[in-house]
Amino acid sequence: MNALSLRGIRKRFGGTVALDGVDLDVAEGEVLAVVGENGAGKSTLLNVIAGALEPDGGEVRPVPRSVAYIRQELSLFPHLTVAENILMGREPSRFGVIDGEAMAARARALLDEFGRPEIAADDIVGRLAPASRQVVEICRALAADARIILMDEPTSSLERADVVRLFASIRKLCARGIAVLYVSHFLEEIREIAARAVVLRDGRSVWAGTLAGVTDEGLIRHMIGRPVEAAFGDSAPEAPGEVVLSVVSIGGASFEVRRGEILGIAGLVGSGRTEMLRAVFGLDAVPGGELKIRDERVDARRLSPVASIRRGIGYLSEDRRIEGLFPHLSVRENLAMTRPEALDVGGWIERLRIKAGDVDDPVVTLSGGNQQKVLLARLLHQGASILLLDEPTRGIDVGTKAEIYELIRALAREGRAILMVSSYLPELFGVCDHLAVMNRGALSAVRPIDEWTPDSVLEAAIGGGSAAA
Amino acid sequence: MRKICLALLALTAACSSAPPGGAPAAKSYKIAVIPQGATHEFWKSIHAGAIKASRDLKAEGVDVTVIWKAPLREDDREQQVQVVEGFLAQGISGIVLAPFDRRALVRPVEEAKRAGIPTVVLDSGLDSDQVVSFLASNNHRGGELAAEHMAKLLSGKGKVLLLRYQEGVASTEAREQGFVDGIKAYPGIELISSDQYAGGTRDTAKTAAENLLNRYGNQIQGIFTPNESSTSGTLLALEDVRKAGKITFIGFDASEAFIAAMRAGTLHGIVVQNPFRMGELGVRTMVDHLRGKAVEKKVDTGVQLISPETLDAADSQQLLHPPLAKYLEAGPGGF
Amino acid sequence: MRSTTLRRLAPFVGLALVILVFAFLTGAPAQYLSVPNLRIVLAQTVIVAIGAVGMTMIIVSGGIDLSVGSTIALTSVAAALALHRSWPPVAAVTASIVLGGLVGAVNGLVVTRLRVVPFIATLGMLGVARGGAKWLAGEMTVPAPETWINELAVTFPSRAWMVVAPGVWLALILAVAASFALRRTVFGRHVFAIGSNEVAALACGIAVARMKIAIYSLAGCAFGLAGVMQMSRLRQGDPTVAAGLELDIIAAVVIGGGSLSGGQGGILGAMIGALIMAFLRNGCQQVGWPNYIQEIIIGAIIVIAVALESRARERGQGVR
Repeated sequence: MNALSLRGIRKRFGGTVALDGVDLDVAEGEVLAVVGENGAGKSTLLNVIAGALEPDGGEVRPVPRSVAYIRQELSLFPHLTVAENILMGREPSRFGVIDGEAMAARARALLDEFGRPEIAADDIVGRLAPASRQVVEICRALAADARIILMDEPTSSLERADVVRLFASIRKLCARGIAVLYVSHFLEEIREIAARAVVLRDGRSVWAGTLAGVTDEGLIRHMIGRPVEAAFGDSAPEAPGEVVLSVVSIGGASFEVRRGEILGIAGLVGSGRTEMLRAVFGLDAVPGGELKIRDERVDARRLSPVASIRRGIGYLSEDRRIEGLFPHLSVRENLAMTRPEALDVGGWIERLRIKAGDVDDPVVTLSGGNQQKVLLARLLHQGASILLLDEPTRGIDVGTKAEIYELIRALAREGRAILMVSSYLPELFGVCDHLAVMNRGALSAVRPIDEWTPDSVLEAAIGGGSAAA
Repeated sequence: MRKICLALLALTAACSSAPPGGAPAAKSYKIAVIPQGATHEFWKSIHAGAIKASRDLKAEGVDVTVIWKAPLREDDREQQVQVVEGFLAQGISGIVLAPFDRRALVRPVEEAKRAGIPTVVLDSGLDSDQVVSFLASNNHRGGELAAEHMAKLLSGKGKVLLLRYQEGVASTEAREQGFVDGIKAYPGIELISSDQYAGGTRDTAKTAAENLLNRYGNQIQGIFTPNESSTSGTLLALEDVRKAGKITFIGFDASEAFIAAMRAGTLHGIVVQNPFRMGELGVRTMVDHLRGKAVEKKVDTGVQLISPETLDAADSQQLLHPPLAKYLEAGPGGF
Repeated sequence: MRSTTLRRLAPFVGLALVILVFAFLTGAPAQYLSVPNLRIVLAQTVIVAIGAVGMTMIIVSGGIDLSVGSTIALTSVAAALALHRSWPPVAAVTASIVLGGLVGAVNGLVVTRLRVVPFIATLGMLGVARGGAKWLAGEMTVPAPETWINELAVTFPSRAWMVVAPGVWLALILAVAASFALRRTVFGRHVFAIGSNEVAALACGIAVARMKIAIYSLAGCAFGLAGVMQMSRLRQGDPTVAAGLELDIIAAVVIGGGSLSGGQGGILGAMIGALIMAFLRNGCQQVGWPNYIQEIIIGAIIVIAVALESRARERGQGVR
């Protein structure tokens, strides 16, 4: 029996057509994957199903009740406890007074069921690690007794071990007859958890079927509407130039990057990769360490973003919405933020193939992939010759990802030194020349990419008696 | 259209019927009276006095309209400046002003004069020779009266405290200085604190008085406060900390509460001015000036000390109970 | 864990520090720390404390109310007028509280229905309520006849067993009740939830608009009670009283750990904040410092308290 059927759903925002005829069926107890490039209409579709948006046309049947929408920490209360977050709106109470014990007990039961009893019911959610926060969101959906659960990129901030646990609990949800709509860019994971998928492109559902009957290439072709070349571009390594950045014990890391080289940093979420990158850029204060940029020695305690930008270092945050973009400012202003003068907006838009209606429109009107391109264009316009990129392809559709890989390689060929943090092993192997692995605040030795295998990276990342696996 | 024509006709007829040379008797005067505030009884009395003047003058055949306009906030010079400026374009004949500040109001007053609008100043001085007349109580003398009465009650020896009103107000500063000067004549009396301020409202005065009474309450025999709100707040504080009646307390200005306190023996004297007369004379002086009569440059409207013994004397009662109700409308509260 | 405890204790330490420093500065510590002076300070704190109970709720929910001072003036006039017209005291007190609640309800409606941000909505109400108070009072102070209400804020209660003013007890009871409500009831936790993440609160099925109207109304009732205290303290309704008091009340909440971005704050902290400011004023006066020094010190204390709080928060959690 279908938990939900959509027929011909349409939705416009002003002049933009976000959904232009989406059909979709999901059965009770089924996981249905929804895939598509960023800007294909996935978020709009989920919002329609969740009831947050009214569709302009089409049919939703039955009118969905008890839908839970899990979207990357946006629906948490950072100041409140885990138990309060899980049971928000359905607190056990008598005469309006909360029964604290019953509440903690119910929260604990749900956390146990999810296999995460180490998260305490009275922990403050704002202090939890991202993976644990996700668990809290899922437990809330369980507590809400949702019949349909929408998950938007639920694994993007999770370690592999947590992904495994997430999938186990999704299967439990299905066993209870709950329907799950699962949006993700990770095709491997999709195949792991879902049997069927719907592909969205330009607001339409262009393909639906069983995943067993389609290859990745086939799926991607449906998503971008044309055949794809090798995703990572040509990988003929150039002869690396001189060392332009050397880091001595900053954030537990010591390494060198050369002109024309792409150095990848792997590691688990929370292993200190982002912290190290931020410290090198001067965003966070560090107790000690030294940086050598070309021939200039700098005490790590005296680093600052202003000085780093002056020295030609560019930093791309892993969280473009919070730390990268000025959402209400225009594309033009966002580009010009680090260097106001001599901006050739049109040139950058053309070079990076940014899809923007009007460069004076607020940057939020762009899709996620195009927003990311705007941020990369900002670094290039700034004239950065050393790029620190933190998860440059997070939350970006497959087509744009390929473009960004190509761009990163081109930038290296032009003589820039690139440091790239990523949680996605295939892209590290596809793009980088050298690789090092972060493990609990310490960086391994840098080795050429050929000397690493996915297994050896994983081992370096979780080695040393970690219980994570 | 026809109505307007008729009205114009009537107007020209009225004008032409006036004797040549424009006898002022036929003219009508709009006089703006601008106090420092609206809620203190003192200003109400000035208002009532001004209304009385306008009614009496009307009976004498002079058409006078009084426009009463208090600044919105009572402790804000800027607001009063705006009120004065606001009147410049309203076609008024003259301004009767109780300036909040001796300097801040100089510019608007002199601008008014250039625009042909003269100003009479009440109560608190203004550093300008462009005003028609200055009518005020002799505030310094008022402070001296308080000091003399204090010395008499304390038999010439003891420790006393002066709780000042607020920085930069000419009238109360004169009273405070008068008290300080007056006390100097009595070597047996020591002024142990005279640098604290009560602030603008009864509430701030009460708070300040409570705090000072805790600090000095056991040492002092007398207190003087220089205006209505500081006296009122201090009286409340004395009652609350159970020191009322035990400390000789002399205040300034009048209110029902002060009269009751004097009967109860918790207040031992008040220096009162004559704001009703001030308002009445202010309007009359302005009208005289407008009608071309010579007026005094400086008028003392009088201060007087009222003690519990002299409370029921006829002249005291007249000062204490100006006929407000006769001249002012009550608010919607209607009490 | 230890840093949390320290953070909880910080306001108490601040209060103790202020009291001790001034005890020595006055040169008469025995007098400064005497029971009568403590009674004086407590009685002086009542109005700000009761106001801060309401304000804490509003600030925790992510809002702000700038109209408190005006509402207190309005309700103090209303109480005095009611007594003046020979209403029974209980009716006068009730009328003030209800009037305060109505003012709050209007604030809440403007915020939710007209979608005006709280800062602007209550800035408007600041003027409307002040003007209303002056109109109601006929631009005069309204004397209140002698009733038991006058006893509420008296420094030394006539019944010696009460030790401190009845108003102090009332404020204490109100604070305890509000603290319980904020910490332990569904309503209170939803107040925190709205301040912490309003969008998520909507998604969890919390009636955010209704809650906000309720929060502003309840806080308004507290402001009405503060108005009664103000009348009791001055024995009259004064339409010009409590101008600028909203800033004292907001400062008390903020010194006590309230965050203007919502989701954080507590009644206990706000009470300490109110006491710190009252002791400062009392102390400065008794040392004999002029008013401007008091103003500078109180201003500096607010900034220092908030700076310490945000430093402690940064250390307390490694989450950005």
